[in-house]
Amino acid sequence: MPIAIGLEGSANKLGVGIILHPPHQPSSPPSPHDSAYSDDELHSSHPTSKQKSSSPPVQILANLRHTFNSPPGTGFLPKDTAAHHRRWVVRLVKQAMAQARVRIEDIDCICFTRGPGMGAPLSSVAIAARTLSQLWNKPLVGVNHCVGHIEMGRAITGAENPVVLYVSGGNTQVIAYSAQRYRIFGEALDIAVGNCLDRFARVLKIPNDPAPGYNIEQLAKNAGGVLLELPYAVKGMDVSFSGILARVEEMALKLESAAQSKPATPWLDPLTSAPITPADLCFTLQETVFAMLVEITERAMAHVGASQVLIVGGVGCNERLQAMMGIMAAERGGSVFKTDERFCIDNGIMIAHAGLLAWRKGFVTPLGGSGVTQRFRTDEVLVDWRD
Amino acid sequence: MADAASSSARVNALHKFPPPFDTSDESFELIAQGAESLLYRTTFSTTGQPAALKVRPEKKWRHPILDKRLTRARILAEARVLVKLSGEGIAAGGSTPGKRAKVKQPKEGEKGVAGLRGFVPAVLALDWERGWMMTEWVYGRTVKQAIHDTQAGRRAVEREQRLQDLKELLRRIGEVVGKLHASGVIHGDLTTSNMMLRPYDATTPDPTSTDSLDGDVVLIDFGLSTQSVSDEDRAVDLYVLERAFGSTHPREEDLFPEVLTAYAENEGSGMNGKVGKLVLRKLEDVRMRGRKKSMVG
Amino acid sequence: METITLPHLPQFPLQVVLFSEVKNADFLRQQLLDGNTDFEYAFLDAAVILSREHVFAACFRAINDTLQSRLKSKNVHSEIVFALSPNNNISESFRRFGVSDTTKDLLAIKVASRDAVHTETHLKESVQGTVVPFTDEVLAGMTDEACLRKAYKIDVVGNEADAYVVGMIALKGS
Repeated sequence: MPIAIGLEGSANKLGVGIILHPPHQPSSPPSPHDSAYSDDELHSSHPTSKQKSSSPPVQILANLRHTFNSPPGTGFLPKDTAAHHRRWVVRLVKQAMAQARVRIEDIDCICFTRGPGMGAPLSSVAIAARTLSQLWNKPLVGVNHCVGHIEMGRAITGAENPVVLYVSGGNTQVIAYSAQRYRIFGEALDIAVGNCLDRFARVLKIPNDPAPGYNIEQLAKNAGGVLLELPYAVKGMDVSFSGILARVEEMALKLESAAQSKPATPWLDPLTSAPITPADLCFTLQETVFAMLVEITERAMAHVGASQVLIVGGVGCNERLQAMMGIMAAERGGSVFKTDERFCIDNGIMIAHAGLLAWRKGFVTPLGGSGVTQRFRTDEVLVDWRD
Repeated sequence: MADAASSSARVNALHKFPPPFDTSDESFELIAQGAESLLYRTTFSTTGQPAALKVRPEKKWRHPILDKRLTRARILAEARVLVKLSGEGIAAGGSTPGKRAKVKQPKEGEKGVAGLRGFVPAVLALDWERGWMMTEWVYGRTVKQAIHDTQAGRRAVEREQRLQDLKELLRRIGEVVGKLHASGVIHGDLTTSNMMLRPYDATTPDPTSTDSLDGDVVLIDFGLSTQSVSDEDRAVDLYVLERAFGSTHPREEDLFPEVLTAYAENEGSGMNGKVGKLVLRKLEDVRMRGRKKSMVG
Repeated sequence: METITLPHLPQFPLQVVLFSEVKNADFLRQQLLDGNTDFEYAFLDAAVILSREHVFAACFRAINDTLQSRLKSKNVHSEIVFALSPNNNISESFRRFGVSDTTKDLLAIKVASRDAVHTETHLKESVQGTVVPFTDEVLAGMTDEACLRKAYKIDVVGNEADAYVVGMIALKGS
C-alpha cells in the first residue's frame, strides 16, 4: 500500500502530511478528521464542517501545520518565513511520523513543493526533503503546489470533473481539466485575490492571526448593509485586483482621517446616510471581489459545459464566497464542492497526495533536478494519472 | 446564433420574461444560456424577420446594488458600442447619443479602412432598467462550432485544404478584431463563441451541417466591451482571445499566430503598420505578466 | 389607413395614415397646442422619416416607456414624437419631428384606439391632404435629407443609416 510523506512551505505555512492510497476502496472509513494539528488547531476558531461527500479513496495518517504570523500591519517576509520553516520542520516530521504510526521503511516517497511560491521558504523546505530522501534512501517527488490543492480537493469532496477556482494569497486561477493538463481558463492579471485582502487588512491593522482574510470575513458579518462603489475589473475570464485595492485603501485612509479629525466628522454613505465603518469596507471589498470570482467561474463553466465547481486555496475557506458560489452553481443546475480549512489552507497532505499520484505513475524527481522554482504554472504539469 | 453546447445547461425554470415580453404573443426559442444572459430567437419586425433577444436575469448570488449596477452598465456598454459601430461611415463626427456616452475617437490614421458596420448586429431596442436588448439576428454558426465541425480528411490533400481554410479563417478573425480596435472599441471577452461565421449569402437560413469555413466573421456579445484606444487595452483583448483560443481549440493552437499577423499586417485590419506592431509588442509584456507574475504572498 | 400590430405589443395596435400635400398643417398643430382631446394623435413630419422601421422603433420605444411609467411627455402620442429625437430636449423634438406650419407630408399615428373606423374618418375629415400608401418608397420620396442629417447628425441618408438611427432611438436617454 503506497504511503507518502509531503512537505509544504511555499508561503507562511509549514505543513507535513502522510497519506496512504489503499489498493481498493477502503473498507474502513478514512480518517481525515482525526489528524492532529499544531498551533493552528489550538488557536483556530474556524468552524469545522464535516464533509458529507463520499469516502475519499485516500487515508490521511497525519496532517500537521505550523503557521508563521507576522504582527498586524505587516506582511510576512521571505527571510523570516524561511527561518520559521527551518526551525519547525524537523519537529513536525517527527510528530507526523509518530502520529501516523508508520516506520521509515513504510514510506515510498518524499514529496515536496517545488513551486510556485516564495523562494526562500520553498528552498528551506526543499532542503529538508532532500535530506530526508538521502537519509532514508527514498525517491524525491517534486510537486506543483496548485496541482496539490486541486487533487486534494477532488479526493476530499469526490468532485469528478469540476471547474476549479483556486484562490489564495499567491494565486487566483479558474482551471478546468482537459487532455491530461489542468488548463488555466482565467486568472488574475496582476495581484492574487488573497494578496488583495491581506494588503487591505494591513491598512486597517486587522490582525494576521489566524489569517487576515478570516478576520476580514468576521468583520464583514457585522456590516450594516452598505455597499460602496469599487471598480469591477473582469476581462473575459480574467480579473484584476490592483485597481480595487488602490481604491479600497484610499477608502480606509479616508475612514481613518474621518475618525481622527476633531471635531469628529463621520463619513456617511451617500445612499443611506449611515456612518461608514471598517466593517462596511470589509463587506464592500468581499462582495465586489467575490462577485468577480464567481462571475469568471460561471463563465468558465458555461464555456466548458460543466456543472460542478470546486473551490480550493486559502481564500476558499471563506463562507461568503462558498455561499455565493453555491447559489450560482444551483442556478446552473449544479453544485459546489468545498473543503474546510484543514485542506483549503496550505498543508502537507495535499503535497503527499499529488506526489503519490505521480509516483505511482513512475514519476520521480532526481536529486540534481530538485531545485525549487518560484514560478511554476499549473498547466506545465502532465496529469497522467487522469484519463 | 450561439453554439448549442452552452444551451445544454438547464434554464432556471423560475425565469420570467421581462416586460413587455411577458405579455407577448410571439414565440421565443431559447438558443443559449451563457454565463450572463439568456439568448432567445424571436422576431421584432412586422415583416417577421428573426431577431435576437438577450435577457440578463438577476444574479441572486451578488449583492442587489452591485447586480443592478452591473446589469445596467453592461447592457448600456454593449448597446453603445454596437450603435457606435453601426454608425461607422454614417455618423457625422462619430457622435453617439447618451449623456454619459464617452466616445473615444481613434487618432487620425488609425481609423478602420472599411469599418465594422455590418460586422456586428444592429440594436433594435433595449431597456437597461429591465435588463434586455433586442438585436438583429446573425445567421450562421459560432466560429467555435465551425472549427469543431471541420473534419480533417484522410488524404493529405484534404488535410492541407483544411489547414489552408483554417488559416484563412484565422486571418479574417485577425482582421475583424483589428477593425474593432481601430474603431476605438475593446471587446473585453473575445472567444470563438463570441464570433459568428455568417455565410456570405446571408439570406440563406442557418446551415445545419456544413464543413465550410467560408463566411464573414461577425462579432457578438459586447457585454464587457469598453471604448479605448490604448495599446495596453488592445493587447489584453488579444491576450484574452489567445488564451481562450488555446483552451478551446488545443489542436489548432499552433495556428493562432495567423490572427496576430493579420491583425498587424492586413490592409483591411486598420491596425496594420506601426500601431499594430506596438500592440503586439505590448502583448508580449502582457503574456509575461500573466505567466511569470509574482507568486509572492 | 393601415393597422399595424408591432411584435410583442398585441394590445397596442397602431393606426397609421400617411398624407401628402397637406394644406392645413397650421390648424393641426394648433389643435395639439390647444390640447384638443379629439386630436390624440402622433403627427409626424414625414420629411424626417427614413423608413417604416424608423417609425416603428419610435412607437415601440414610446409604448414600452408608457408601460413602464417612464413617460417624459404628456402621453404615448407625444412620446412617439419625443422618441424620434436623439436628445432629451422635448420642445426641440416637437420642432424637428412633429407637425409644423410648414409640414407638407404628414404621418398620423393613433395608438390602441378602440374605434378604428372613427380614427380613419376623423383623420380624413381633419387633415386636408392626399392619403398615400405608407411604404418605404413613398417615405423616401418625402425625405428632406438636410433636415435628417441635422436631426441625427449623420452624413449619409438612406437605407444604410436605418440601423444607426434605430439604435439611437433605443439608446436615447441613457
